[in-house]
Amino acid sequence: MIATFRYEFRMQIRRPVLWIVYGLTFAVTVAGFGHTYLDLNLGGDEGREPRPAMIVSAILLTSLLPIVYGCLLADRLVRDRRLGMTDVLDTTPAGRTGRLAGKYLGVCAATAVPLVLAYLGRAAAYAVTEGEPAALGWAAVILVTTVVPALLFVGALALAGPLLMPPLLFRVLFVVYWFWGNIIPATMMPTLSHSILSANSQYVAYGLLGFGHYRELPPNVILPPGGIVYGPWPGAALNFLRPEASPAVALLWIGVMIALAAAVLLLARLHTARTES
Amino acid sequence: MRIEISRLTKTYKGGVRALDGLDLDVPTGMYGLLGSNGAGKTTLMRILAGLLRPTSGTVRVGGHDITAADGRLAVQRTLGYLPQSLGVYPDLTARQFLDYIALLKGLDSRPSRRRRIGELLETVALTPDADRRLKGFSGGMLRRVGIAQALLADPRLLVVDEPTTGLDPEERIRFRILLSRLAGDRTVLLSTHIVEDVAQTCRSLAVLDKGRLVFRGEVGELVSRAERRVWTLTTSGPAPSQGRIVAALPEGAGTRYRVITPTAPGPSAQPAEPTLEDGYLALMEPGR
Ligand SMILES: Nc1ncnc2c1ncn2[C@@H]1O[C@H](COP(=O)(O)OP(=O)(O)OP(=O)(O)O)[C@@H](O)[C@H]1O
Ligand SMILES: [Mg+2]
Repeated sequence: MIATFRYEFRMQIRRPVLWIVYGLTFAVTVAGFGHTYLDLNLGGDEGREPRPAMIVSAILLTSLLPIVYGCLLADRLVRDRRLGMTDVLDTTPAGRTGRLAGKYLGVCAATAVPLVLAYLGRAAAYAVTEGEPAALGWAAVILVTTVVPALLFVGALALAGPLLMPPLLFRVLFVVYWFWGNIIPATMMPTLSHSILSANSQYVAYGLLGFGHYRELPPNVILPPGGIVYGPWPGAALNFLRPEASPAVALLWIGVMIALAAAVLLLARLHTARTES
Repeated sequence: MRIEISRLTKTYKGGVRALDGLDLDVPTGMYGLLGSNGAGKTTLMRILAGLLRPTSGTVRVGGHDITAADGRLAVQRTLGYLPQSLGVYPDLTARQFLDYIALLKGLDSRPSRRRRIGELLETVALTPDADRRLKGFSGGMLRRVGIAQALLADPRLLVVDEPTTGLDPEERIRFRILLSRLAGDRTVLLSTHIVEDVAQTCRSLAVLDKGRLVFRGEVGELVSRAERRVWTLTTSGPAPSQGRIVAALPEGAGTRYRVITPTAPGPSAQPAEPTLEDGYLALMEPGR
């Protein structure tokens, strides 16, 4: 498993396309927003303190960039078969489960490196320009509690999905899924958006990191005593998947992300066992 | 390491019976497996490598039952396998690729792993190219990476599936010599449809046809199957109609034919020394 982790990490991080695609994405967002997108100020008070500033960056980081991350991962598991590597790998005494786990963690880690670098870069820039070294500490905490669980889930999905369809088709469906299940407002149509099953960082942001205290009030919301809450959307379907954010719900979201990732990987493992005749 | 195969049958999904009640004992040393396309060679080798489950029958390798999980693991620890179509990771160098496979094979100590890889690169004459990426390698070089990969864990059993296909004559000869040198005290099972590969490397062989064993024994025995049945005949007239023509060489105004048939194919026909190929063809002759 460690060997597979090392080599899969190495092969993925050395792919020129990884750096090109992320580079282009950042270039386009800078061109579109006029700055690096992660330091976008949402117009509230968030920018004034390191914690909410880093939370905003994390929310932005996990809004659209997981699309790039997922698409870059999509060929990694099926590639072994395409390259004709499975026979050699399967005749080694290293078990398939360990190799799958090593590959998963290795390629996910490698593909996340540019995201993590961008995020920590943003934190470092904030720490320097605002004279707030605490931003780095918060960035680390937020990274681990929001970005990592989301990427673990997305990574499992992106590795396993192409077992069932060509990677190109998977990428198209993945983009559609991403907008439907993570971006669109919950009131638009029945969706997993903003629910505990969506790979967004907001449950932790509001439930665990106290982000609600910093948000500016939308005009039609009355501020509850604990600050703005994240939870059910008035008038949306599937609201039972949108409990009110609390520390417990935030931890539940982390658990759900990891459990979903494990379930998807388990299915992938069973799939490879089934296709061996 | 001895391979004992008994009543082995493999039926693929969809009903193709690739192996049909095979009984075979493979002793230590170099052993050839001949058969035409679709004879079942790859199927047999993938079963030995633990990649395919037999439909029925038993396979024991060095006493381990290959159909049981622990037996398979025990065999895989001492197995080197070169698949018919070997894949590699094109973005790794030869050395990195071997290092990765070595780690998967459980060569955990870094110094001894490095030493082993260095030796093997030397054995397969790839030392000068060791740090080049595999995507730039020729077919012959990739085959040599493949054999190096198979040898990493110093296997007692080496299973190589048509390793010489696509190699130029020099590469092929080098490869044969390498395989024979390796045989020594291990079992090397070499499958091929190129008779010459077996003739030059193996003492014993088996011949598969449509999933059944049609011959097993010494190379000389198979050659003798063609004894007194190989003829040469030079004629400027029509080709001999009797028997199976295995060669035709223009000679002067006529053509010199090599024919396998029990009786002389013409008054001027001369008996010829049979080769292993003649023996193989005589064996495969319909209605022999
Ligand atoms: N995965 C598979 N599914 C179904 N049938 C298969 C499969 N693999 C092989 N076969 C069939 O099994 C038979 C034996 O195939 P096998 O690959 O073992 O032959 P072979 O002797 O290795 O041939 P070649 O010299 O062409 O490599 C063939 O009829 C082939 O079509
Ligand atoms: Mg074959």
